[in-house]
Amino acid sequence: MSKLNLDNQKIQEKMREVARNLLKEKKVDLIIGYSEGTVPLSSAPVFIRKEEEVDKLIWNNLCYVNLAKYLIPNIKENVDGKLVDLKVGIISKGCVARSIIHLMVEHQIKKENITIIGIKCNGIINRRKIEKEVGAEEIIETYLLDDNFIVKGKDFEKKFNYDEYMNELCKHCTIKSPPKSDSLKDIIVGESQESYSLEEKFEDVIEFEEKTPDERWNYMKELLQDCTRCYACREACPLCYCNLCFVDQNLPTWFGKTSEISDILIFHMVRALHLAGRCVECGACSSVCPMGIDLSIINRKINRIVKDRYDFTSGLSLEKLPPMMAFKMEDKQEFMLEED
Amino acid sequence: MIEKLVDKKDIPKLVKELTEKYNFYAPIKVNGNIEFKRVENVGDIELNFFNSKIPPKEILFPRMETLFTYNINGKNIEIKEPEKSEKKNIIFGIRPCDAHSFVLLENFFGFGEFKDKLFLNKRKNTILMGIGCNNPRNTCFCTSLEGHPFKKEDMDVFLVDLDDKYLITPITDIGKEIIDALSWLVDAKKPDLEKAMKLSEKAESLISTTLDIKDSYKILDSQFSNPIWKEISETCIGCGTCSFLCPTCTCFDVIDEEDKYNNKGRRIRIWDTCQSCLYSLHTSGHNPRNGGIERCRNRILHKFSYYPTNYGLIGCVGCGRCIQLCPVNNDLRAIIKKMNEINKKEEKSIIA
Repeated sequence: MSKLNLDNQKIQEKMREVARNLLKEKKVDLIIGYSEGTVPLSSAPVFIRKEEEVDKLIWNNLCYVNLAKYLIPNIKENVDGKLVDLKVGIISKGCVARSIIHLMVEHQIKKENITIIGIKCNGIINRRKIEKEVGAEEIIETYLLDDNFIVKGKDFEKKFNYDEYMNELCKHCTIKSPPKSDSLKDIIVGESQESYSLEEKFEDVIEFEEKTPDERWNYMKELLQDCTRCYACREACPLCYCNLCFVDQNLPTWFGKTSEISDILIFHMVRALHLAGRCVECGACSSVCPMGIDLSIINRKINRIVKDRYDFTSGLSLEKLPPMMAFKMEDKQEFMLEED
Repeated sequence: MIEKLVDKKDIPKLVKELTEKYNFYAPIKVNGNIEFKRVENVGDIELNFFNSKIPPKEILFPRMETLFTYNINGKNIEIKEPEKSEKKNIIFGIRPCDAHSFVLLENFFGFGEFKDKLFLNKRKNTILMGIGCNNPRNTCFCTSLEGHPFKKEDMDVFLVDLDDKYLITPITDIGKEIIDALSWLVDAKKPDLEKAMKLSEKAESLISTTLDIKDSYKILDSQFSNPIWKEISETCIGCGTCSFLCPTCTCFDVIDEEDKYNNKGRRIRIWDTCQSCLYSLHTSGHNPRNGGIERCRNRILHKFSYYPTNYGLIGCVGCGRCIQLCPVNNDLRAIIKKMNEINKKEEKSIIA
């Protein structure tokens, strides 16, 4: 059996044990995790309320949804006619935990309601890329063997190198389990990560930046032309929690809603700007896109700017204010016009 | 014999002749996805495909459609309707499930006093040359909805993929006309028909999902506040994937776009979805479908309760797109099974 597979199985066993104990000791009312998907290359988020259901929880390299999405609005339940906040245990790979931390910084979730069940993620499989490469054939089974992700159908078997067919964002990830910090230690159970590198070369972004404006425009046009504006990217994003998204504003309408390229582009660009200094690079937006559009380069570009200017990486600490929430006199503002 | 044959290597010839006379749409690979697009180059057509991601409803009911444009010149307002194509459309390669979805769309757009002429005219001018499904997938369940991977009835011309050639059967008069015009096609022989028959049987046997949906509407009518809606919607993130990629979903939003500086504008319609927060939002600010529970319920009831009640048809064709593409794998098959369990529970309580 492959090492990756063994790792996953160990993680899964430990995760179930932790979850079972949390429910048994009534430390949480609910566990949010992943369960087996019913179609190939998928997994299904699941809400577990009873100890005997804990074995539904799974962990593998197809657990692509960012579960932090389910924490907003706060999950409540009717107890004796009153709506009470539930205590939630949430299965958290590094990026899920980072989203939770960032949401706490933005005062969207209360620390006392959350237990982070930390697990170490080795990177999520790029399901849309594989699906496109397989094409017309039906996938029946997938599994890991050595360094490869094997995809099997009725009359075919294809090998995809795991490192190559990982989500683009996972390739750059160094924070694979919840980041350790003093202010979080009482809410993290299971795996957590003490040290991680925040060095980033942003080679992919630099390569993109070196293109000519025409090339960049054509790249974006081709990338986004199939967008149906179903907003799966937005809905899967834990940090897109606005009650009314800018693009849904209709009194009056703020942005065009057509599937013309200019309207599509402006939606994705403005959404990316709203994620500046917030995006945790979980890749959920790309994994859920039904058309297989990989948005990672857009968010990486913004993250590079944030890193260069403010030396900030989101979702690591409860104390450090994100750049868009803080103003410093020494912040660069070369866009301001100087007074004579 | 009315059945004809065309060698796969002669498909370009067939397409070339038809593109001269018709707006010819066929499956084409765009960015790795199969979509039904107007054919510019014969070589772009991809016939080794399962089905398109975006259903071919897009040709008649596009993601975005201009209803009219206007120019204002002082007190004169000039309104222009979009130009109509002189040619008829052919949709080549459409699957039987999607062809059946056109029947549902016609019901919706042609219902009641106000007919949607834009859609209905296009439908009238569209010829379906479909291909049977030799390899339906695990997510297919057309046979549970009176469909079949080789159902011919909703097409004008029906093709069967016989490996190196296609068997062509004209179904309607217009289908016969088209095939007669392609005088170079050769007659099919008995073994070809037998092979097609066998493929049809094999395809049917490959459909592993059977769901009991026919009578669901009777029970759903009284299940508006059943707790299963909460269960079903719990993990739904509220995107529009299921409805945008559904061949039977028809909701649209009408938008006026004004170009004030140039004294002109346009009225367009775009796809809408019952999963959107703006859907059914009243002017007062009240929204009867304000949360995930109500929105998920609406999607299911619309297909399996309102459609059967209003049109006597089930609003689903069993293509499986929503099952394959739901970001959180909220499987329609599981939802239908849950609905049927209410059925059984109710029956039990009635007997008891």
